[in-house]
Amino acid sequence: MSASPVVAISDDAELARAARQGNRVAFGRLYDRYRRMVHGILLARVPPWEVDDLVQDVFLSALRQLGNLRDDGAFGGWLAMIARNRAHDYHRRAHEWTELPENLPAAERPSSEAIAALDAIRSLPAAYRETLILRLVEGMTGDEIAARTGMTAASVRVNLHRGMKQLRQILESEAHA
Amino acid sequence: MRNDYLWDGSGAPDPEVQQLEHLLSVFRSRDRRPHTRTRWIAIAAALVMGVAAGWLVSRNAPESWQVSSARTGTGRLQVGETLETGVGGHATLEVGDAGMIEVEANSRLRLERARRNEQRMLLEHGLIHAFIWAPPRSFVVDTPLAVATDLGCFYTLEVGKDGAGLLHVTAGWVSFEHAGRESFIPAGAACQTRPGYGPGTPYREEAPAPLRQALQDFDFAHGGEPALDTILSTATRDDAFTLWHLLTRCDPAQEPRVYDRLAALVAPPAGVTRDAILQGNRQMLDRWWDQLGLGDTGWWRDLERKWP
Repeated sequence: MSASPVVAISDDAELARAARQGNRVAFGRLYDRYRRMVHGILLARVPPWEVDDLVQDVFLSALRQLGNLRDDGAFGGWLAMIARNRAHDYHRRAHEWTELPENLPAAERPSSEAIAALDAIRSLPAAYRETLILRLVEGMTGDEIAARTGMTAASVRVNLHRGMKQLRQILESEAHA
Repeated sequence: MRNDYLWDGSGAPDPEVQQLEHLLSVFRSRDRRPHTRTRWIAIAAALVMGVAAGWLVSRNAPESWQVSSARTGTGRLQVGETLETGVGGHATLEVGDAGMIEVEANSRLRLERARRNEQRMLLEHGLIHAFIWAPPRSFVVDTPLAVATDLGCFYTLEVGKDGAGLLHVTAGWVSFEHAGRESFIPAGAACQTRPGYGPGTPYREEAPAPLRQALQDFDFAHGGEPALDTILSTATRDDAFTLWHLLTRCDPAQEPRVYDRLAALVAPPAGVTRDAILQGNRQMLDRWWDQLGLGDTGWWRDLERKWP
């Protein structure tokens, strides 16, 4: 019986390599670092109350498929693809819970304004909605979004600004409706 | 990129972006909590007559787990049956709708219960990785020396042939309990058991080596004051949960020192007094826990938390 090795790795690629070799502490670090990204990608595609459990599904799936990861440096993009595929699978299957349960305690229930804002973002093109959710909901910076998803900083910037421009137009038109 | 609020929050705030951030924060990812969907469903089942509850009771989970192994293919493990992986073996167990377990080589386990609301196994020895998405406390692993209860997480549990155990939590929480002594282990932390002692004090995997060694001495080798000296002098803010556990398991004469060190690392909230903590006031201990940054005790209470 030996304690798990202490991981003092800061580089994501090194963490991915260690995790692929069976180091669960490294996988835990990756979970901490990428949880918000996975959560945001799913939130862009599935009902909010399904997201937390699907996040776990995505990481479980990633853990089981780590051996297939060819480039440890591409872990973020690879994980993002698993999350998008998981959201796609979600929509292909029948689900018992498709709407927010009624009569939830106030603390559990998003406001109608919050739901409307999320719906407005989710009506945007996929690239914009995903990037905006990572920024506005998950609180990631543009640099973080680029580093985690594998997108270039320039692409993230374009998605943020164009997406925000479209979002303002939608919210403005809804306000006048 | 600087002075671009939309990019990274720097520069002059954009009121519209700020408002959206505030509105949407309710959807933000939150760590170290039990699964949300199950909690929402439980609430809905209680409040919305019949709909979700009807679904829950209408599905009859088989009293067995599916086993997949490269050596033996796919089969089912029935309640009361034992699984041994042997040298170089490996198996995957599907725990009903509750989650999945990877069983490493040289492991031996027995399925004890396979009900929808209670999945339970005995890990006699070996190593498992558990990935559980069922409601907290519905998946339990007995070991020869302690009981590991899932509170919604990924974790690894290793049990030696002498019964000694090591539990490492990757995500979420696990409770490790024996004879009324319970440890709550968050992500990134571990907890050991030893014959004759039950669960030790949980610690960060990345805590300084002297701290981890001193905890082992204190918990399992009658390390006494010298070990406690090292624990208190090497613990940092991130080890506050370790000291919080120690408060309820060290000798009464040692409690003031543990209190003082914990208070130096994480100030107790207003109204929580030294005297009350040293008298074991559970409510105040609870309130202090809320200051540790590991989630508040609201959901602990939901889980019918036991106290160390």
